[in-house]
Amino acid sequence: MDFNDLALRLGIDEEEFKELVELFITTTRSDIKKIKNGVLDHNPVDAAAASHSIKGAAGNLGFDEIFSLAGDMEMQGKGGSLDNFDVYIRDLEKKVNALIG
Amino acid sequence: MEQKQPYTVLVVDDNLLNLKLIEKALSKEGYRIFCADNGPDARAMAQREKPDLILLDIEMPGESGFDVIRKLKDGAETNAVPVLFLTGVSEVDSKLKGFDLGAVDYITKPFHPLEVLARVRIHLKLSIATNSLIAGQAAKLRQLTEAQVSMLPTPADNPGARFSVYYKALEEAGGDFYDILNISENIKGYFVADFSGHDIKTSYLTASVKALLAQNCTPVYSPMESMKMINDVLVEIMPSGKYLTACYMHINRTTRKLTIINAGHPPVVCLPVNGEPFLIKTEGDILGMFKDAHFGSQTLTVSPKDRFFIYSDGLVESAENKITWVNGADSLLPVYREIAGLPYEKAPEALIDRLFGKEGLPEDDIVILCVEV
Repeated sequence: MDFNDLALRLGIDEEEFKELVELFITTTRSDIKKIKNGVLDHNPVDAAAASHSIKGAAGNLGFDEIFSLAGDMEMQGKGGSLDNFDVYIRDLEKKVNALIG
Repeated sequence: MEQKQPYTVLVVDDNLLNLKLIEKALSKEGYRIFCADNGPDARAMAQREKPDLILLDIEMPGESGFDVIRKLKDGAETNAVPVLFLTGVSEVDSKLKGFDLGAVDYITKPFHPLEVLARVRIHLKLSIATNSLIAGQAAKLRQLTEAQVSMLPTPADNPGARFSVYYKALEEAGGDFYDILNISENIKGYFVADFSGHDIKTSYLTASVKALLAQNCTPVYSPMESMKMINDVLVEIMPSGKYLTACYMHINRTTRKLTIINAGHPPVVCLPVNGEPFLIKTEGDILGMFKDAHFGSQTLTVSPKDRFFIYSDGLVESAENKITWVNGADSLLPVYREIAGLPYEKAPEALIDRLFGKEGLPEDDIVILCVEV
């Protein structure tokens, strides 16, 4: 992923962008934890709210794949379903970890 | 106009990344940023820091953006701050709800920092322009108030008229008006009026009424003739739907004859030098509405030191307590008795103190004229 290009798109420099990515990883891990709790408690509303938070932040930084995945999870959670969330969560964690690379 | 620098923006979002991104983008451009990640903290910060603009996320756990704006708009210190919603929700209903609650605009998530910056700039410019307009209008209204007050005669300027007055306009353009007519050395006229509405048109009309009184309240005309002539002119010049209630009291201190002409106005209170206060009820049409108006009239023989109170309905009416002057005037008679021992110069102020207390605010404009024979 070209952080320099994403930074340019946002009108900030690469160092600032990296700082934001670090913050994104921290907040997203916290949100993933909330999603996992939502799944354990069979609470799709909480899982959808945490997915919504990830979606917004990812979209703002230009992380389109994470944005799209979190958006699907939010929509499904709002519809009351937690089907395949274990797969979604694994995929999400993989994509977030890839940012550290 | 003094401008405070730098402009301050309160950003409210439960996602720390979003807060940081906006903070970076705006602070680079010279804005001072306050961040809150929940509704209660945001409201406390808005109260404390008085930001120039608020960016507010709608979907937050606990207090939502809708709850926050509702409370901000209820607060006297925060209700004028422009609020822009940050929303990931694309439904029209949600956006309309935000506008209904008082938001000035919304930014859809995901947002680009430069879009946020552009919208912040636009709405700050609008806010600056609106505030400047309001300040300009307030300055003009203050001039109008000064002009209105300068038209009201003072007891010091008219020592022979033996009157005192309390005058309070609730808004800059007051609806109450009074005038003293020096018809001759021993004949004086006292006029109190209440215009319908408190707007700018009303304040201009007071100048017309003052001129009409000066032209028509002369020894040549009886008090009734004076009022009828003034009415005929007002019917021609008053804007549609406008009128005034008025009371004109004419005292000849040589013959001790007092005449009251009433045009839909609350009754005059007479406080005789020896005796109980009573109302002089004279029914009549309002001024400036009907060409062939019929005004109430009553003539009394008076004694030296008898006092008369002419006042506007703000003294006796209360919309809050559903009191009209028809029943309100009667209930106040004992208060006039209480202030009978005071010099007439202090009577109107004492009446206000007793009715509203030192800090009570009347619901309407008030004028009280106390005249001693």
